[in-house]
Amino acid sequence: MTEATNPLAIANPKMSARDVKVFYGAKQAIKGVSIDVDMDHVTAFIGPSGCGKSTFLRTLNRMNDTVASARVEGTITLDGDDIYSPSMDVVQLRARVGMVFQKPNPFPKSIYENIAYGPRIHGLAHAKADLDVIVEKSLRRAGLWEEVKDRLHDSGTALSGGQQQRLCIGRAIAVEPEVILMDEPCSALDPIATAKIEELIHELRGRYAIVIVTHNMQQAARVSQCTAFFHLGDLVEYGVTSDIFTNPTQERTKDYITGRYG
Amino acid sequence: MTGPALFLLLAGLGAIAWVSARARAMRLQTVARATGRRDAVHSLPGYHGWYVALWAIVPAVLFLAVWSNIAPGLVTQAVLADPAAQSLPADDFSRSAILGEARAIATGAQAGAFNPLSQGLVEPYRAAISKYGLAGAVLAIVLAFAGGAYAFTRVRPDFRARTRVERLVMATLLIASLIAIVTTVGIVASLLWESFRFFSMVNPLDFLFGTKWSPQSAAMGYGNKDAFGAVPLFWGTIFIGAIIAMVVAIPLGLMSAIYLTQYAQPVVRKWMKPTLEMLAGVPTVVYGYFAALTIAPALRDFAVMIGIHGASSESALAAGLVMGVMIIPFVSSMADDSIAAVPQSMRDGSLAMGATTSETIRKVLIPAALPGVVGGVLLAVSRAIGETMIVVMAAGLAANLTLNPFASVTTVTTQIVQLLTGDQEFDSAKTLAAFALGLVLFIVTLLLNIVALRVVKKYREAYE
Repeated sequence: MTEATNPLAIANPKMSARDVKVFYGAKQAIKGVSIDVDMDHVTAFIGPSGCGKSTFLRTLNRMNDTVASARVEGTITLDGDDIYSPSMDVVQLRARVGMVFQKPNPFPKSIYENIAYGPRIHGLAHAKADLDVIVEKSLRRAGLWEEVKDRLHDSGTALSGGQQQRLCIGRAIAVEPEVILMDEPCSALDPIATAKIEELIHELRGRYAIVIVTHNMQQAARVSQCTAFFHLGDLVEYGVTSDIFTNPTQERTKDYITGRYG
Repeated sequence: MTGPALFLLLAGLGAIAWVSARARAMRLQTVARATGRRDAVHSLPGYHGWYVALWAIVPAVLFLAVWSNIAPGLVTQAVLADPAAQSLPADDFSRSAILGEARAIATGAQAGAFNPLSQGLVEPYRAAISKYGLAGAVLAIVLAFAGGAYAFTRVRPDFRARTRVERLVMATLLIASLIAIVTTVGIVASLLWESFRFFSMVNPLDFLFGTKWSPQSAAMGYGNKDAFGAVPLFWGTIFIGAIIAMVVAIPLGLMSAIYLTQYAQPVVRKWMKPTLEMLAGVPTVVYGYFAALTIAPALRDFAVMIGIHGASSESALAAGLVMGVMIIPFVSSMADDSIAAVPQSMRDGSLAMGATTSETIRKVLIPAALPGVVGGVLLAVSRAIGETMIVVMAAGLAANLTLNPFASVTTVTTQIVQLLTGDQEFDSAKTLAAFALGLVLFIVTLLLNIVALRVVKKYREAYE
């Protein structure tokens, strides 16, 4: 285990990728990435547009399966189990590795139904009372309960953008995942809503392994403990966040951090 | 001068007008530009050409259109003034028969005369026709020259020819679109007028709520009461078009749309979608004989085999099933559009929660696409109840009020065809009933279309 793939030298990483390559048809989007993701920390993926950070994130819960032309090589393990092996059920994998998207995408259903969606399909609640408990707990963790407790049956799409994004985080939390993947969760939000989401990430840290893709380097510095810099499908540098931002070892990382490109 | 030659001549005049006006405009503008003022020149030379050419052609053509309507009357008057016309019989009918024959011989449409009187009128007819034909042609050419000359004098560097040509283009387009609207209004007006005549003979309440339909008995003099109760027709229409056909079309259309949008490989979709849409291009008369000759007898035999009474070889089920198949592409293409319009992020959100494809379809895509699907179904119903050929061939004529799908029922469109084919007198309630039925059908399909388009539009806005 090299320092490059595991900067904090964690003995048992939550997720671990080895020599992962992703192809869209003939085009290679990820060129052999090896990285470990730790349970107790927030990991940020940064890099310029089109560098492959979102593509790589989507391999971690096999969302690339929905793209017909995508092909993944290499191994990715969750608690030591290969998630691309035939014995891995993608439904269970995605219950364990949840995802929050760039644009808030609540279902056109009530707030309550949005949260209850996951527990229902995974059979986590058998009685209405159980479901009520899950909904309240998830909304509290997502920091949305106080704002919506009196209108749980209003449409989720009627909330503000920031509230919708917290609803989506609550929806992901409701199935008790172990890892939460966030794909630029604040890129469609205003600064105040962004601050709330960042605060929420701090609160969720430790309970879930969190991987966040972001365009915003200040955000990566604020919310993460480890940062990976991607460029043109390569993992250029992976390290403790403070090191990456103050003392990068690679020239390309330094250029990006200092705003030379990106 | 013959028609085609005249039109060629006018077109030639127009071309000459275009070329000469354009040349003049170019020459004048070159001079005007030399003054150095930017607003000295307004339109491109081509616009001046068009302006003058249109002035040469349009008034002349309009004149010819009017002339071709009044000339026959003038010709007839001239013939009647001829001494040979003095011997014509007094009554209008034989008079116009003889005149018609004489004209036919004069124009060469008929070789010889049956009536010796018409033979005598051929020469005056020929003379009158050529006289008025020549007069029309001369007047048209004079008009063309006059219009062209008038416009030609207006060609100046700062004349706004472009604005005027554009205005004429707009007027032409406006007229084209008005023609469709005016036709619709005309159709509705004629429907309303004939229906009004019908309802002055038959009580509208008897028509709308009566349960006995036998227009033949009214025609044979048994009175209008109890002959024009249209409820069995409405029921038959709804039974075939809105119930049986939809039971076939909604599930099949929806499922094929789901398969095509969510499961099919791009290659499969590329072939299957046009093939499915080809169903909509099959002429309905082909569906009609498929229903009448293949499906209907098979269904009757099946009904007899399992012991259903009243099974007819012209059953509601046969017509409804085949109509349902015909409607599948409507439902499936509307459903396809509305499912495809649900944002991909919605689908990703559900899949990322660990939902399977079918759970995602059932719980997220269909609910989100539902308004569009409902709109599509309403349009399909409106199409189905107005459909004529299949029911005329396969549904039968007996106005039964029955729930038995193997029995024969009749529909509004079938009865309209029935009432209006063959020789008709347009003052009997039997014939006029067709217009009242048409009016009801028109109103219902119009309402369905309005509601469906509203629903679809509202839904479209939801995701923009």
